[in-house]
Amino acid sequence: MKGVLAVYYREIVNFKNRWLKVWSASIIYPILFLLAFGYGIGREAKVAGVGYVRFLIPGLIAISSMNQAYGVSLEVHISRYYYRLFDEYLIAPIARWEIVVGEMLYGITKGLVPTAVLLGYSLVSKLGYNVTPSFFMFLLLHLCCFSLLGFIVAMVVRSHADQAAFSTFVMTPMLFLSDTFYPIEKMPFFVRPLGYISPLTYSTKLIRASLLGYEVSKAYSVMLVVITLLLFWGALWVARRAEG
Amino acid sequence: MSEIEVVDLKKNFGNIEALKGISFSVGRGETLALLGPNGAGKTTTIKILTGLILKYEGRVFYRGRLFYPYDRRIKSLIGMVPQHNNLDKELTVYQNLKLHGLLFGLSGKDLEIRIDAVLDMAGMREHKARKADYLSGGMKRRLVIARALLHEPEILFLDEPTVGLDPAVRRSLWDFVVRLRTEGKTVILTTHYIEEADMLSDRVVIMDRGRIVAEGSPKELKGSLGRFVLEVHTPQGIKEEFFSSREEAIAMAKEFSFPVRVREVNLEDVFLRYTGRRIEV
Repeated sequence: MKGVLAVYYREIVNFKNRWLKVWSASIIYPILFLLAFGYGIGREAKVAGVGYVRFLIPGLIAISSMNQAYGVSLEVHISRYYYRLFDEYLIAPIARWEIVVGEMLYGITKGLVPTAVLLGYSLVSKLGYNVTPSFFMFLLLHLCCFSLLGFIVAMVVRSHADQAAFSTFVMTPMLFLSDTFYPIEKMPFFVRPLGYISPLTYSTKLIRASLLGYEVSKAYSVMLVVITLLLFWGALWVARRAEG
Repeated sequence: MSEIEVVDLKKNFGNIEALKGISFSVGRGETLALLGPNGAGKTTTIKILTGLILKYEGRVFYRGRLFYPYDRRIKSLIGMVPQHNNLDKELTVYQNLKLHGLLFGLSGKDLEIRIDAVLDMAGMREHKARKADYLSGGMKRRLVIARALLHEPEILFLDEPTVGLDPAVRRSLWDFVVRLRTEGKTVILTTHYIEEADMLSDRVVIMDRGRIVAEGSPKELKGSLGRFVLEVHTPQGIKEEFFSSREEAIAMAKEFSFPVRVREVNLEDVFLRYTGRRIEV
C-alpha cells in the first residue's frame, strides 16, 4: 500500500497546486452545458417524464466528473514522457498495481470536485434529487472506470497528438451518445449500438436513476462493474509491461 | 560473493542489438565505471540492472540471488541517478524527496530525519521549500543524487552523472562519488568521460557497440599498453607508439621530422587500441 500512498501523495500535491484551475474547469464546463442545453431548451421542456434540467444535471455530473477522472491521462503522460518521473515508480520496490490504484484514487478525487459543484447547485435550485448511498456507489464505479481508461490511454499512446486523436474520436462522441443530454432510446436506431458500447451510458443511467429515485437496472449495474473490472485488468496489463 | 554478477546479457531494440552478450561482476564496496561512447550499451545495461527494462536475455544476480525486475528486496538495495533530472518540476525540493521516501517505504519521523540528512549532504537545506523547476542545473543534479541516497541504498547507479554540467559542478560531484567510495557503497557509473572513469573507479569496463572490449583497473588497462605514448602528427593523421618510460619515448621522438607529443597513456588510448576508434560522444 505504500506505493499507492506515494503515487497519490504526488498527485494530490500537484492537485493542490492547481486547485484554482481544477475548480474553475469543474465549474465552467457544466455551467456552459447547463446554459446551452438546459436553459436554452427551456425549464418547461420534459424528457423521460421529468423537467429537462432535472434530467440533464445527472448527465452533467457524469460527463464533468468523467472529464476530470479521465484527465489522469494527461498527467500520467506528462510524468512519463516529459518529466520521466514514471521511472522513479518503476525503480522503487513497489508493485505495479500500486501505481494503478494510486492514479485511480487521484482520478476519483478529481472527479468528486464537479460532482460537489453540481450537487450544490441542485440543492440550491431545489431540484429534489435523492442523494443515496447507491448514488455514491455508482459514482465511484464511474470514476474508477474513467480514471482507469485515462491511465491506459496514457500508457499506450506515445504523443499528445495520439492523445488528442483519442479524445476526438472516442471521448467526444461518447459524451454526446451516452444518455447524457437525451435518452439513448430517442436516438436513431443505427446510432444506438454506439451508445450501448459506451461505459458512460451505463454510469449516466445509473447515476440518473439513483438521483431521481427510479428503479436501478441490475443489468446496467452488472455492465458497469464488468467494464470497470476489465479496465482495471487492462490498466494492470499495460502497467506490468511498462519499461523505462 | 560478488555484489552484482551479470551473465551473458543480451538486449535487442527491434533490429538493433544494444547488448551482444556481456558478462561482468562488481565486488562489494567497489566503484565500477562502464566507459564507452554513445550507443555502447551502457545505459541499457543500467536499465536492466535497475529493473527499468523487463525483457532481456541473460541473467543478473545480486548477492548470489537471481534478479527479476519486480524483486522488491533487491530493489530496496538500489539507488539510481538517471541521466536526466527526472524530478517533478511542480513539486518543491522537500516534496520531491518525500515522494521518493514514500516510494521506498519511509514515513513519519524517519523520513523527515533522512530528508534533512540528504539536504545537508547536498548543501540544499535552504532550498527545501523551493520548486524544483526554479533550481539551477547543478542544483537539480544534486537534488537527484540526494534523492537517490535518501533510502540509504547499498548499491548506487549513476548514469552519466556529470553530462551537461559546468566544470566546477562536475568537480564537486566527483568529490561526492569519492566520498561514497569511502563510505563503502558499491557504485556503478556510466560515463563517456575518460578522466571521470580514470579518477573515480576501481575498475573500468570498456564497452563499444554492445560488447565489452576491455576490463580491469585503470592502472592495469593503461599499463597493458605502456606508461607513455608518443603521438606523431603525420599528414595522414596521428600515429601512436607506446613506451614504458618517458626517456624511451623522447628518444624515439627525435627520429621523426613531424610534430610529436609525449604524454602519459590514458583510457582513450586503451579504447583506441581495442576498437580502432576514439570515443566519440
